[in-house]
Amino acid sequence: MTEANEPTQLAAGEAAAAGPAVQQAADMDRRRRIPELAALVVFLLVEGVFFSLKSPYFLNWDNWLNILTAVAVTGIIAAPATLLLIAGQFDLSVGSGTAFCGVIMAYTVGSLGWSEPLGVVVVVLAGIGIGLVNGFFVNVVGVNALITTLGTLAVLRGLGKVISNGQTLILNGFGGIGTSRPFLNIPTPVLILAAIVALFWFVMRYTVYGRSMYAIGANPVAARLTGIRSKRLIFGGFVLSGLCVALSGLILVSQLGASSPIAATGLELSVVTAVILGGASLAGGRGTIIGTALGLLIIGVLNNGLILLNVDPFWQEVAQGTLLIAAVSFDQLRIRLSVA
Amino acid sequence: MTDSATNRSSSAFRLEARGIRKSFGGVEVLHGVGLVATGGSVLALLGENGAGKSTLVKIVAGDYSPDAGEIDVAGDVRPSLDPLSARQLGIRMIFQELNDAPALTVAENISLGRWPGNHGVVSWREVRRRAQRVLEELGVDIDPDAPVGSLRIGERQVVEIARALSDEARCLILDEPTAALSAQEVERLFTFIHRLRKRGVALVYITHRLDEVRQIADRVEVLRDGEVVLEGNVAELDRRRLVSAMVGRTIEDVQRPPAPSWELGSAPVLRFTSATSEGAFQDVDLEVFPGEVVALYGKVGSGTAEVADAAFGTRSLTGGSLELDGKESRFHGPAQAIEAGVGLLPADRQREGAFMVRPVAENLSAPSWPRLARLRTFISSRQEAIAYRRWHDALTIRSRNDPGQPIGTLSGGNQQKVLLGRWLERRSRVLLLVEPTRGVDVGARQEIYRSIRSLSSEGVGILIPTSDYEEVVQVADRAAVMARGRIVARLEGDEITTEELAEAAGG
Repeated sequence: MTEANEPTQLAAGEAAAAGPAVQQAADMDRRRRIPELAALVVFLLVEGVFFSLKSPYFLNWDNWLNILTAVAVTGIIAAPATLLLIAGQFDLSVGSGTAFCGVIMAYTVGSLGWSEPLGVVVVVLAGIGIGLVNGFFVNVVGVNALITTLGTLAVLRGLGKVISNGQTLILNGFGGIGTSRPFLNIPTPVLILAAIVALFWFVMRYTVYGRSMYAIGANPVAARLTGIRSKRLIFGGFVLSGLCVALSGLILVSQLGASSPIAATGLELSVVTAVILGGASLAGGRGTIIGTALGLLIIGVLNNGLILLNVDPFWQEVAQGTLLIAAVSFDQLRIRLSVA
Repeated sequence: MTDSATNRSSSAFRLEARGIRKSFGGVEVLHGVGLVATGGSVLALLGENGAGKSTLVKIVAGDYSPDAGEIDVAGDVRPSLDPLSARQLGIRMIFQELNDAPALTVAENISLGRWPGNHGVVSWREVRRRAQRVLEELGVDIDPDAPVGSLRIGERQVVEIARALSDEARCLILDEPTAALSAQEVERLFTFIHRLRKRGVALVYITHRLDEVRQIADRVEVLRDGEVVLEGNVAELDRRRLVSAMVGRTIEDVQRPPAPSWELGSAPVLRFTSATSEGAFQDVDLEVFPGEVVALYGKVGSGTAEVADAAFGTRSLTGGSLELDGKESRFHGPAQAIEAGVGLLPADRQREGAFMVRPVAENLSAPSWPRLARLRTFISSRQEAIAYRRWHDALTIRSRNDPGQPIGTLSGGNQQKVLLGRWLERRSRVLLLVEPTRGVDVGARQEIYRSIRSLSSEGVGILIPTSDYEEVVQVADRAAVMARGRIVARLEGDEITTEELAEAAGG
């Protein structure tokens, strides 16, 4: 068999003899891969430099802890959201789910007087329940994930209001998970965020489950034909999302010492922004948790900077929406550039 | 209307592209090539995948603009065309993939984008009339009010041709139009092409099937590696010259493999007994022994692919039985079939086989993940890379030998080798290879056949549902021929010839 009997467009890059061409192709590929994370890091640095020039407080350690605390709830949910999007799925019910879980905690412990551990167990069960319901409709009934979770978004928001009678419920003495600083003066939510990100990083990179989710997103039919039990795995993804929702609900109610049924409104927008900004592809099959973490930081720094600069907080939403569109446009541009 | 009619009758339409060069990402894929299409004749553009055929015609159709060269359309010389001006000049291209709107009717599709009527109000009567006229002209019996999605692939292709014609196409480019057609539909398509030729349309026909070239083309141009390597009248060129021009070396004519020198297993590893699946196949009796390559030959729609589906758990039997290693098996889904030792290489590599954006190593090891992983759970890309390297050389996969390279950046033949490696790594004992070399160029095809033979020598039982009779001749120890869901003939050893196969399938 001679080397050069396969005249394809890629032949130049494939033939072992063509040394420089191979190098060139490899370089091209690497250049294409690097921008995904590098662009995020650069953007984050530019943001950082800008705000540190504008405000003397920006670079304070405490301010950074503020930024991280502010994004903790979003980040804890963005981790499973990344996993789901990589498999081609969405969970829009996370915001109202978080509020719902908070209401359950405040209602059972604060209003009914149950013990804290029992309340936590009920909240965790509620989170799993949300995941099971979403997973059931998406995988067993076969409803599109966007529609299913849009429905549960409304249902959970409504149920939260029903249980709390539309009022903000007070919950005193449950500050541990939201406000304590057990280690190096770092708030617990930030530590939990770090642990969740590390966990999902490991799962997505080093487990059969993570690999399979990438495969499902890259090509659902091929995944099935390679023996991947897609429905079960996606079901699992929704349950993970529900568990993280329960966790973030607990953190939120602990931070505020109270729970409002309209809390965490629009959280799904922040989550989607972070995930997309982080480079996960809407078409599925691509994305990393590191990217999502960087996307999260970009949002956190932007919001924090705007506050430090005394910009009206209403502008935060405008900025975030703009960022989302910018991220998706950037993704499209990148696709077009890599095709050409 | 009258305008173009006179054009057509007076002097023959002539389109010539000269000295076309084109680079993608710094790599030149066309090194100064051209083509001449004249009204009333068929030019066959022949070449392996990646030879540059599609790029050249896309330049002619205005989809790409060339880096150098010129295009002369009936005396109007330009450095490049854009899609709109190409259309205005009467150049139309029918793509391999259908470009229609399935939910709209035939008539609506024909007038798509050129709605007749006044002031933005569509005249539906005229839409219908236009469709009837052009369909009549083509001599086809297709209901103009039927939704296009309800038609067969061949009919849909005809609708696309009708659409081009009603738009006064003077040069029609067909890109591998027979890839998805049944034999009858191919015949009908050829009748059209003859009719169009008579009407004075200039036809450019892209293909890699040599027998088609003889049947319909007047002239042929062979491209290889972005250069024209052969040009001439079809009548003056024999098959061998065409093949060697395409491949770049003389290739033996279709040859039988040597009879297996190894022992076949004593009991069949896969056996169908009067297996029936509603609407797909009936009374199929078929055995595959370990170490044997069995081809299931039949035209598209004859049920061959469905038999493979049944063995892989994606289609259930409504009668008869399926045995694996002598044990009756009913698989609910591919996962169970794979667990039992069955592997399937699907016909549509892009849609059903590969994870295009994912690395080659991941693509190859996907079904083996649980086995490769520690505690069936933890896996690293290093383990995948080791699995990939195991097969990279054995399957002569041509890549950068970088396990992280996305499979989408490999050529079709090499992608197919990676997907074959999938089941080697999984140690499957029965392989169902559906159309294993569709869209694979000749060189890689031989390598895939060699891999299949060497697999069977290791005791794997292989079943190949295919519609390519040359493939059957080149790779199978035994062949069963299917037509309309039934096995109509069985051939063994030297009985397997292209003539026998064509005869059996046609009857």
